[in-house]
Amino acid sequence: MTQELRPPWDEDPDDLYDHAPCGYLTTLPDGTIVRVNQTFLNWTGYTRGELVGHRRFRDLLTSGGQIYHETHYAPLLRMQDEVHELAFDVVCSDGRQLPTLVNSTLGRDDAGSPKAIRTMVFNATERRQYEKELLLARQIAEASERRVRVLQQIVADLAAAPTEAEVAEAVVRAPESAFGAASSSIYLVDVERDCIVAVASTDPTTGNWDDMPRSSPRAVARVAERGDLHVVGSVAEARTHFPELVETMRRSGRNTVVLLPLTTGPADESATVETLGVLAFSFKGERRLTDGELRVVRLLGQQAGQALDRARLYDDANRREERATFLAETTRSLDEVHRLLARTRRLIERAVPEIADWAEVRLHVGATPVVEAGGGPRPDEELLSQRLGKVAASGEPAFPGEGDQLDCSVLPLTARGLVLGTLALRMAPDRRGAAAERAFLVELADRAGLALENARLYEQERQIARTLQRSLLAGALPGGDTRFAVETHYQAAAHDLEVGGDWFDAFLITKDKLAVVVGDVVGRGIEAATTMGQLRSAVRALAGNENGPARLIEGLDRFVERVESARMATVAYVEIDLPAGEVAYSCAGHLPPLLQEPTGSPEYLLQARSAPLGSRAGNTVRTEHRRRLPPGSRLLLYTDGLIERRTRPIDKGFELLAREYARRRDAPLQGLAAGLADTLVGRDHSDDVCMLCLTLGTEERIERTIGADRMQIALLRADLRAWLVAHGVEAECRDAVLLACSEAVANAIEHGYRDDPFGMIDVVATVTDDAVEVRVTDRGTWRGPVTDVARGRGLQLIRESMDQVLFDRGDGTTVTMRRGRQEAS
Amino acid sequence: MEFTRGGLPVPTGQLERWVTFSRFGDAELVSLSGEIDLANAPEIGKAIVERIQKAGKVLIDLTTVSFLDSAGVRLLDALIGDLNEHGKPTRLVVGESGAARMTLQLCAFREDVLATDLDRAAAEIGG
Repeated sequence: MTQELRPPWDEDPDDLYDHAPCGYLTTLPDGTIVRVNQTFLNWTGYTRGELVGHRRFRDLLTSGGQIYHETHYAPLLRMQDEVHELAFDVVCSDGRQLPTLVNSTLGRDDAGSPKAIRTMVFNATERRQYEKELLLARQIAEASERRVRVLQQIVADLAAAPTEAEVAEAVVRAPESAFGAASSSIYLVDVERDCIVAVASTDPTTGNWDDMPRSSPRAVARVAERGDLHVVGSVAEARTHFPELVETMRRSGRNTVVLLPLTTGPADESATVETLGVLAFSFKGERRLTDGELRVVRLLGQQAGQALDRARLYDDANRREERATFLAETTRSLDEVHRLLARTRRLIERAVPEIADWAEVRLHVGATPVVEAGGGPRPDEELLSQRLGKVAASGEPAFPGEGDQLDCSVLPLTARGLVLGTLALRMAPDRRGAAAERAFLVELADRAGLALENARLYEQERQIARTLQRSLLAGALPGGDTRFAVETHYQAAAHDLEVGGDWFDAFLITKDKLAVVVGDVVGRGIEAATTMGQLRSAVRALAGNENGPARLIEGLDRFVERVESARMATVAYVEIDLPAGEVAYSCAGHLPPLLQEPTGSPEYLLQARSAPLGSRAGNTVRTEHRRRLPPGSRLLLYTDGLIERRTRPIDKGFELLAREYARRRDAPLQGLAAGLADTLVGRDHSDDVCMLCLTLGTEERIERTIGADRMQIALLRADLRAWLVAHGVEAECRDAVLLACSEAVANAIEHGYRDDPFGMIDVVATVTDDAVEVRVTDRGTWRGPVTDVARGRGLQLIRESMDQVLFDRGDGTTVTMRRGRQEAS
Repeated sequence: MEFTRGGLPVPTGQLERWVTFSRFGDAELVSLSGEIDLANAPEIGKAIVERIQKAGKVLIDLTTVSFLDSAGVRLLDALIGDLNEHGKPTRLVVGESGAARMTLQLCAFREDVLATDLDRAAAEIGG
């Protein structure tokens, strides 16, 4: 059974239409309203009369709605005969907009032509509100998500930022991307200096970047002290709390400023929380930050604070390591040089510019104080010398205080409780003030003091050793004997090493027996120099007419048993029987002497070799070898510094020495040893070089080759004079020959080799009972007759002083001159 | 440190080896010594000229000169010419014989500027 449920009141269909819970409209196909219910009229405030027959449905819509009606509603309705849930805002009679949802059906007649449109209008005010809220909620959620993403990115960046500067760089960008701030700046607290320093900003044109004391009334300092977030919401607020902000905000057009302390933890755990810096960011308009945003801002402050804390520890560790490395490297670097001045210089070079922009070392050693400075500018001289005096007297370091006019640290350089001098320096600006730097400087000065004291002691010992050595080597050598000539050369190592134990000596045992010796004591320094002196004396004492070289070396072996420091010294010892022209030699571990006879190639004397003095493992059977040498022979004794080079094998050194010696066979004896040393070791040698060159007897014929150098004329004359004397040539003849020969050589230099400083001049002289003959040859250019008055006088002197003079101008010039021995011209 | 020994000194610009200055009576005394040659004559000349500019009378002592070449002669010739021009009395003291006298004689130096000892030379230019 079906039964209609009866409603509790009578349902009148007209009433139902008029007061239905929705609006009803019936329109013609062109939209003209023909019927409307009361509900719609109530909602919109129109009267029936205003609408029916007068208005179309679309006339009631907003302009946007009218377009939508045109483009969607009408076409859809025509095609489908019905539309559903189209949203329109209906403009009410008082101008209000009523959000609605509209359903319409199109009725057609039997021919299918549109007859009428029935439209149902729902009030959608509530729904639209709800939708709006939904949209807003989504926007908020999205903004929050973006902030979280920005924050996450910053946290990741902070984790990768090991230094304060990098942390600051990562944090300073955050407010723009997270909150849309116009600009932001970051300030860090410098605990050592008790101030706050601006370190980074996205807009350096705004704000005040001066350092401020932590007690400053400025907003940043206040917030740093309180350790809690502060938002200055408007210029008016700023005027109340932080007047100094007003001008800045106004100038840069900012209306809201957020001051966020960067802390090591949440603000409520303030007991353990430290504020390391402040992040300040600002907005152009008055910006209200939501609770959510403020939470994120606080979180950012903590994250950044913790990253700063980490970076500080990291920076500290780095700084400590840097200091330790610097000290170790400085100590090593100072050890590399031995001399006091070099070490002082090195200390300055280490300090400037790495730790200081100016530094000065003053050492109160010796008669004149050592002063070495680097960098600049120099501080005020008077203030500095007062401070230096104070530190030198007290032995206590002085560091510049706050507002000190002298912004330098002065440290005493001490060693064994004595103040050696002072180290004054002005630290590089980023390192000033810190207590850790003070400790570092004190340690630097301690190490430097020790290194400089060692250098001073070294210097002192070196000076004594040099003096000793010089006095031992500078004793008179025998001379004035025409049967022999001795030339020696000593050259200390270039690199300021300690004095070596090389020595030479030459002395007459009897009037007809000459002894020459070159030796080398093991070790360096005072002990080596002393030992050398003892050995030298021992050789002189042991040399006797009866003892030969072998017995002398045996005597030295016994001597070494008592003087331990002389053990393993090497000695080359040669005795020369002058009338017989015979040499006897013995080498105890020493390099073989090099012999050049007047003819033939140089030859090393390799006989009579045995081990160094007092050797326990070597062969100490001492032998000697005898050999006759023709007059004019040259014998070279030397120490290993002459031929030993780290870069070449020793046999190459022997080869080179023999070759150079042969090349100089005709060079004057004077300067021969120095010239050889120059060629073989140069100036940059690492060992001492000690040489002794001996010329024996008188050559029948003297042959010399010299360079085209005015200085060498005197060297040649010395050899020639000795040769003429040895041959008993009378004084008058001798002087005449020397004069003529000098003039001929001078002529070759000034005329033939006028443009060739490397030309060589050969001089050959022979002597007979009747006459002396000299030939001077150059390979220079003949330039026609000599017109120079001065040279003319020289040529005149040659002609006047010699009996016969012959000029031969072929390839160069040869002057042959002869002078009779009995009668002068 | 470096030193070389043996034989005679090598010219190294140490002028005091070859020339020293003093007074003899009211005359400036220039004492030359050792070997005077092409290598050192120009420097010696310069030193002498500097010194005698204000002198009224000049004595040049060559008695210990062991060698004198044409460069030395040229130097002495120029010195004497200059001094004569300024009316300043001058004598060269050369001894009876020796290298310096030989060279000067060979160059035919005027006998009137040569003297054999210092006292005589001083007396000659004294009056």
